[in-house]
Amino acid sequence: MTFVHVEHEGRRLRLSVARTARGVWVGWPGGSRFFGPERAESAAGPGAPAEVRAPMTGRVVKVAVAPGQAVTTDDLLLILQAMKMEYRLTAPRDGVIERVFCAEGEMVDLGATLVALTPAPAEAGAPRGTAAAGGEGGGGAA
Amino acid sequence: MAGVETMKVLVANRGEIAARVFKTLREIGVPSVAVHSTVDREAAHLDLADEVALLEGADGYLDGAALIAAARAKGATAVHPGYGFLSQSAEFALACEAAGLVFIGPTAEAMRLLGDKRVSRRTAEECGIPVIPGASVCETSDDAARAADRVGWPVLLKAVGGGGGKGMRLVEREADLDEAFAAAQREAGAAFSDPRLLVEKYIAPARHVEVQILGDGCSAVALGERECSLQRRYQKVIEEGPSPGIGATTRAALLDDAARLAKRAGYRSAGTVEFLVGPDGAHYFLEVNTRLQVEHPVTEMITGLDIVAAQVAIARGGALPAPPAPRGHAIEARLNAEDPHRGFMPSAGPVLMLEWPARPWLRIDAGVREGGEVRPEYDSLIAKIITWGSDREQARRRLVEGLRATTLLGVATNQAFLIQVLESDMFRRGETYTATLEKTAWPEPEVPAAAVVAARRALAAPAGAGTGDAGPADRHSPWAIPDNAGRLRP
Repeated sequence: MTFVHVEHEGRRLRLSVARTARGVWVGWPGGSRFFGPERAESAAGPGAPAEVRAPMTGRVVKVAVAPGQAVTTDDLLLILQAMKMEYRLTAPRDGVIERVFCAEGEMVDLGATLVALTPAPAEAGAPRGTAAAGGEGGGGAA
Repeated sequence: MAGVETMKVLVANRGEIAARVFKTLREIGVPSVAVHSTVDREAAHLDLADEVALLEGADGYLDGAALIAAARAKGATAVHPGYGFLSQSAEFALACEAAGLVFIGPTAEAMRLLGDKRVSRRTAEECGIPVIPGASVCETSDDAARAADRVGWPVLLKAVGGGGGKGMRLVEREADLDEAFAAAQREAGAAFSDPRLLVEKYIAPARHVEVQILGDGCSAVALGERECSLQRRYQKVIEEGPSPGIGATTRAALLDDAARLAKRAGYRSAGTVEFLVGPDGAHYFLEVNTRLQVEHPVTEMITGLDIVAAQVAIARGGALPAPPAPRGHAIEARLNAEDPHRGFMPSAGPVLMLEWPARPWLRIDAGVREGGEVRPEYDSLIAKIITWGSDREQARRRLVEGLRATTLLGVATNQAFLIQVLESDMFRRGETYTATLEKTAWPEPEVPAAAVVAARRALAAPAGAGTGDAGPADRHSPWAIPDNAGRLRP
C-alpha cells in the first residue's frame, strides 16, 4: 500500500497501489481499478478451463449449475448479492462446468474463483476478454 | 423538554450520517451515544461519539426496542434518527416519546400527515399546491388503465407504501400495462408489505427540485431549493443548489408552497418538500421526506446554517433560525461503492487506502476510514463530497478537482463516473433532468497506461515484497514507465 510517482511522456502521475491476496488495486487521479493475476491461458493453450471470478464481494444466494453440466453463453451460473442488490453471473461462453468453488450462503471475496468452465470443442481457442475480474459477461443487477 | 445541561443524544444510525451528526453534537457540546450492529464493531461512525452501545439483535439499526433500551441504559435523553432505517417511522417516534426520550424530528402526527403519499397529496391540494394529475389507488390493472386513460399516457405506477424506485414502473402504452402492474405489485409487496399502487401522469423532461424546510411546530421557514435531477434507479447521484433550471418566479412559488405545507402540518424539525418541475416551468408537488436528507449539506454550504444544530435547538424548544439569504452555489457528489459500467453493481470490501483532499471550499462527509470496510449488509454510500463556489462553474471545477484528488482503493467506486458526468456538456449547461443519467451512454473511462504497467509490476513482484517506492521521478527506477507503455491496454 503505497503511492508511487511515475513519469510518462513527460507528465508526472501519482498512482496508488495496494496488493491483495487476489490481485492489486491501482488508483490514478480520478479513478481506480482492480487487476487480477495475469492470465496464463495463452500459454496453457486453447481448451484450458475459463475461470469465472467474483466481480464483487458478496454472498452467493444461488448456484445454478453443477459440475459436468453443459452451458451456453449467457446461461445463469450463480447469483451474488450485496447491498440488497442481486447480480447474475452468466457463462462467458459455451462449455462444460468443470468445478464449482462456492456454495449457496457463502461469502466470497472480489476476485475469488467461483466456477471453472471447460470450453466446448467448437469454442476452443475463441478469443476472450482479459478484464481482471472475469465473468462479468452479460450480467446486470436483478 | 431536555434542557441544555441535561441533553444527551443517541444517534440511531451508522455511516456518514451518524458521523456527521456526531460532529455537530461535539461542536455544540452535547454528549453523544453511538450504536452499532454486530458486524459494525469497528465502524468509523463510532470514533466520533462519547459512548458506544451494541445492538445485539439480527435487526440491528431497525430494532426500535433495542435502540430505546440502549438510550435508557446510557442515560440518553434524546434520539436523532439520521435518515433511512427508522427515521420516518411514526411508531418509533411515538415509542421514543413514550420512553421519555425526545425524538429529534417531526411529531408522529406530522409524519403520518406528510409521510404517507396519499395523505400528503390531499394536504397539498387543500393548501392549493399543484399536484401531478392521477394518483388514484388502483387495485387491478383495469383500474389502472381507466386512470391512465383519464390523465393521458404515459403513466408512472408507484407503490403506495414507499419510495426508492421499488414498485415503480413507467408504462408507455396500454399493451404493457398488465405485465408492469403485476411486476410493480410484486415488488411493492416484497419491499413494503403493501402491494397497492398509484397511477400518475408521467411528466418529461422533468427536473426534481426540492425545498429544505425547518419548522418548530407552529411556524416554518423554507431555506432554499436543491436540484436533484441526476438519478440512477431513482437514487440521487449529484445534487446542487440553487437549481440551474428554474427562474425567480418558480423559485418563489416553490419556497412559498413548501413553507405553507409545513405550517399547515404543524411541522417540527427538518424536512424536505419534493417537487417535479415540467418543461413549461410548471411545478407539481411530489412528496415530503419527513427527515434530514442525504443532500442537506448543499443547503448548509449556501446558507451557512448547520441544519443538525437547528434540529437540536428546535428539539430543546428554541426558536427557528431566520432563513439566511443563500450565497453562491454548492454541488454534492455521492461517492458510492458501485461499478457504474456494470449496471451500478455494488461493491463491498476492505478500504485499503483512503486519502481525502483538504480544501477550504470542500466538505467531505464520510462513513469509512482507511483500514475499515464497506459492508455488504448496508447501502453503498461511502461519502459525500460537497464544494462551494461563488458561482456554479466554480463549484463544478472545485468538485472535479476534489474528486481527482481523492484516493480510495479496495472497492469499486463511481469516482470516475462522477467526474465524467460533472465534465459533460449536459452538466455544464445545466440540462439536468430526471431521465438524463440513464438515457445517456457513459463510455467506460480508459485506464491510464501507467496504471496498467504499475499493476503488472505489482502482480509480478513476489507476494509480501511490497510495491516499492520509486521516489520522485527517478528515470532509472523500476516505476519509470517506458515510452511504449501507451500501447498497452488492460
